[in-house]
Amino acid sequence: MSVHQAGTTSSVERVDLTPMPSEVPQVQELGTTSAPLKSAAFFIGAYCKEYNEDFMLCKNESREPGHCLKEGRRVTRCAQDLITKMRENCLSQFNDHWNCLEKNNQEYYLCRKPERTLNACMFEKLGLTKTIPGGGLQGQQVHEKANPIFKAMQK
Amino acid sequence: MSLPYRQDMPPAGGFEAIKYKRNLPSRGPGAYAILGGVTAICAYGFYRVGKGNLEKQELQRERVWSRIHLVPLLMAEGDRDAYRRQQAALAREKAIMKDVPGWEAGKSVYNNPKYAQESLVLV
Repeated sequence: MSVHQAGTTSSVERVDLTPMPSEVPQVQELGTTSAPLKSAAFFIGAYCKEYNEDFMLCKNESREPGHCLKEGRRVTRCAQDLITKMRENCLSQFNDHWNCLEKNNQEYYLCRKPERTLNACMFEKLGLTKTIPGGGLQGQQVHEKANPIFKAMQK
Repeated sequence: MSLPYRQDMPPAGGFEAIKYKRNLPSRGPGAYAILGGVTAICAYGFYRVGKGNLEKQELQRERVWSRIHLVPLLMAEGDRDAYRRQQAALAREKAIMKDVPGWEAGKSVYNNPKYAQESLVLV
């Protein structure tokens, strides 16, 4: 017979609440959950390309957390800027798409319909397009395929 | 008594043809038609599988790139948190070891300048 025994290690969550040193400029964290981030990923990639690349090049120099704080703040501010713009211009399409992702295991191919309206809105309002680098056959973008093989069973 | 001679003859219009042919109902398409049909269906199926595999690759590429675009953002946030904890741990170590002469707070036990994540986190 098994007996329930308390573990030898405490399961109490320990959180280090010491604030950031005051000499480091503060930045508001993005705080966006995974589905909206996934919905906005390609637009973040397009809009914040320079900042992202700068940050990754900096990380390539050194993996130390303190090394790229400045570049990291720029990345976060840029993403914040984009999310704000998205919410100002294409709020309903954005909400539709990320809610769809939320309900469909965060798979893009199950949410093509709301994605197309979002892409159209983003192009119209902000001039951003979703482009997947690399491209397969003849550089065709999989999200623009008219008659895909993998699609939602139910329309 | 004598009967008049009479030659035995076939019936008028001749005998009917001998039924030697098999009279079976039609049993559907022939073997070659079935073989050809199955081959055609299989060929179309494999064609679709091939197309689907290519599309699956593209979907995977889409997933991967969506993550690649998010990596700097997530890493920056994680770095800020790690830096904050690092500084807190350093301050704590300094306070605890202030009476020990010659103690360098935050010094690695390894003689390697390359950054390595802390394997132990003391809170």
